[in-house]
Amino acid sequence: MSEFLTFLPSGISAGSIYTLIALGLVLTYKTSGVFNFSHGALAATSAYMFYEFWVKQGWSWPMAFLASVLIVGVGGGLIMERLAALLSSAPTVMVVVATVGVLVFLQSLMTAIYGPANIFMQPYLSREPLFNLGVFGVTREDLTIVLFSLGSAVALYFFFERTRLGKATTAVVDDPNLLSLQKTNPSAVRRLSWVVGSCFAAISGVFLAPTLGVSVNTLILLVIAAYGAAAVGRFESLPLTVAGAMGIGIMVSYLPSQVTKLSSSVLVQNLPGNTPFMVLFVVFLVVPARYLTERGVRNARRLTPIRTYSPNVTRIGFAALLVVLAFIPMLTPETDISQYASTLGYFIVFASLGMLVWMSGQISLCQMSFAAIGAATAGHMLQHHVPFLVALLISGLVAIPAGALVSIPAIRLAGIYVAIATFGFAIVMQQIGYLTPIMFGQDQRIEVPRPHILGMDATTGRGYYYLCLFVAVLAAVVVLIVRGSRLGSLLRAMSDSPVALDAHGANTNVMRIVVFCIASFMAGVGGVMIAGVPGNASGALTGPFNITVSLVMVAVLGFAGRRPISSPLIAAVLFQLVKIYPPFNTEWFIKYQGVLFGLAAVTVAIWPALEMKSRLARLGRFGSDRDAGGPVIGRMAEHPVVPVRVRAAAVKEQPVLAGAGAGADR
Amino acid sequence: MSVDLDVRQITVRFGGIVAVNDATVFAKGGTITGLIGPNGAGKTTFFNACTGRNRPQAGTVKLGDLQLEGRRSSHRAHHGLGRTFQRMELFDSLSVVENVRTGVAAFLSSSRPLGQMYSSRKESAVINQRSADALERCGIATLGNKTVGDLSTGQRRLVELARAIATPFKFLLLDEPSSGLDVSETNAFGKVLTDHVEQTGIGILIVEHDMVLVSEICQRIYVLDFGKIIYEGTTREALGSDTVKAAYLGEASVA
Repeated sequence: MSEFLTFLPSGISAGSIYTLIALGLVLTYKTSGVFNFSHGALAATSAYMFYEFWVKQGWSWPMAFLASVLIVGVGGGLIMERLAALLSSAPTVMVVVATVGVLVFLQSLMTAIYGPANIFMQPYLSREPLFNLGVFGVTREDLTIVLFSLGSAVALYFFFERTRLGKATTAVVDDPNLLSLQKTNPSAVRRLSWVVGSCFAAISGVFLAPTLGVSVNTLILLVIAAYGAAAVGRFESLPLTVAGAMGIGIMVSYLPSQVTKLSSSVLVQNLPGNTPFMVLFVVFLVVPARYLTERGVRNARRLTPIRTYSPNVTRIGFAALLVVLAFIPMLTPETDISQYASTLGYFIVFASLGMLVWMSGQISLCQMSFAAIGAATAGHMLQHHVPFLVALLISGLVAIPAGALVSIPAIRLAGIYVAIATFGFAIVMQQIGYLTPIMFGQDQRIEVPRPHILGMDATTGRGYYYLCLFVAVLAAVVVLIVRGSRLGSLLRAMSDSPVALDAHGANTNVMRIVVFCIASFMAGVGGVMIAGVPGNASGALTGPFNITVSLVMVAVLGFAGRRPISSPLIAAVLFQLVKIYPPFNTEWFIKYQGVLFGLAAVTVAIWPALEMKSRLARLGRFGSDRDAGGPVIGRMAEHPVVPVRVRAAAVKEQPVLAGAGAGADR
Repeated sequence: MSVDLDVRQITVRFGGIVAVNDATVFAKGGTITGLIGPNGAGKTTFFNACTGRNRPQAGTVKLGDLQLEGRRSSHRAHHGLGRTFQRMELFDSLSVVENVRTGVAAFLSSSRPLGQMYSSRKESAVINQRSADALERCGIATLGNKTVGDLSTGQRRLVELARAIATPFKFLLLDEPSSGLDVSETNAFGKVLTDHVEQTGIGILIVEHDMVLVSEICQRIYVLDFGKIIYEGTTREALGSDTVKAAYLGEASVA
């Protein structure tokens, strides 16, 4: 017990930081219905700003602190509020694409400017103990963090529970129109929430910078702790969120001392750090689904159906594509062939992601984790001289249980919570799973040699390209078979309207699991093919199976379209291939590639809400609508019955009676 | 074989608001029963309570001899209680014919894992036949290959109806099914419903604001106001009732 008390103060200090991050997350979700995956990136950006002003520009720390919070908290909050407003009627998938796009944008921008390495800085608040609490010396830094976080939590609680504006802030998600009738401006309320939430992220980033260093990757990963706390609060309750954050903070501080007694293995040592994820997963498993309902989805519009082509056109298109792909090795220098092979490997993973996201409406932010499982399994099997095709098949099969595990939250919950669960899974895989001997081990690397297969030498660039093409074609066939099957129809129906499918008696649990299993199998196979390009698979942060890659892939697929085959191919080409050709092969483009991907994803997600077509039509008088329909007055003149229709439509909401206006229409 | 829908003393509260208050409705199988009332009276909430979309604080729902309360909405549908929605719930990315077929396939496969992945030739034939019949009856067979997301509101309503009548439900709850239809479509719509009831013997409970349609197709009417059933009776009696006029219809009479 006394040992536990020793760790209590440091646990409260850590919990206070989690509190601040989680409060910002819950606040913005509660008031806008937009779950901000870029919350950690905002914290990281603020930390970089602080580093820039304080260390590089030599400002005093209070000025640097204030400037960082103003720029990222207030400025970033206002931008995020506009984004949230534009996403207010977007489907969940596009909301995730947009906020992941912001994350990728900020992460890539910070990495491009400051480099990927962790930047360490001196503490700006004194770490000399002010007083002792047992054996724990309480510093000015600890005291500031705890008082600020808890003070913020108390202030927010009273704001939401005791003030009219606070209650209005929550109501804004459910019915902004109704709220506007109550003399409360929903936009102002939402803006305030985003500014406060983003300021919390910015302040937590600056608080953490001296302890963790300034690293965009570290800070983004830390946000999962806040997810755990927010989950305890069911993404809604502020007191429960604070309790969750404090509990997680104390466990993260206390448990390492206990596991050290159990084992010296790095794997075991890493377990306490992942307490938040375990908390998150447990919450998703045990909390009744009715307490974890999505906010704001009631107003969501549907995605516009993609244009379909006749079967003949589709067949000819696929045949032409296959011919082009088959001739590529003859048209391409040997040095570039590997990049093409790699593109086909990524195509397989993108196709699996597309199957989940566009076909079934479920979001996976851990696709490269499945790929990593496949690659690591193949590495181990090939070391034991298992034939390549058998190893490839088993690698895909081994990834399936992971897919099934991730799909458990998908059975109970929907939309945004599935995305959060997959994000958490990807982080825990990277921090624990990759280090295990059955994956990449302590070296974070395993050999995946290219094979000789069926008399073909796939160790050469061209040979391996054809092997990748063969597997990619098989993957495409699997996607098309699933899409054309009854399962495919039911999945697409589930994506369009799970409510209607439910009302026809279909239990969607099985199909959710099955599609995750198929997608994880394909991603596992794709991972093997990707690893075969360099001949090894790496679980390091700089490797292809990093969580960031999964996020970038979602962003890229978000703007590459929603077709089952061509969109994943376009995504793979953009992601992996264009960078070897001008003008994209410049150092600038490669450095800022993620920035552009992030921007493109955000643009695609908010595009329908921008209504550019009608804006252009209004501004330039050259929009197609105006050309087609003529001026509004003119159109009315062409249809003299319009006033009658309007009256009839208005009456239709109330009883439609013969001789009471409806008669004119009937 | 027709089955009755017997809903007794349903109460649904949202926080302090009582949306449906001790409402009892008995809708006989093989007939069309109307549920009318002003906007916000609790009609859709009542439907949601019947189909398991919300959790009533009290009351029972019985379809034929089967008690449905406490069951999931997909279970209730699987046992024969189908519905359409006020805000249309269609599979927008699928074609018209795929929408109808998928509805039937969803019902037939239900919770059978293999059934959701594969259908036998015999089952496929049944699905295709039922879908073709329903599309024909609703007059939208020519739209078969069009993507539903591209259709007009009236056409979409008909697709939703076709999907509901193609599926072998025992009882249907239709929530404002004629909104968005023009006059000729509404007339045809009424005929589709009466023919379907005659041919299959299923029962229908319909929420509708079009009193002309209601007077033409419904045998009995329940009137809901502020969550309470304020009147029940034959259509003729209901439309002539002072209580119903005061609460909903006003002074104008239905021709």
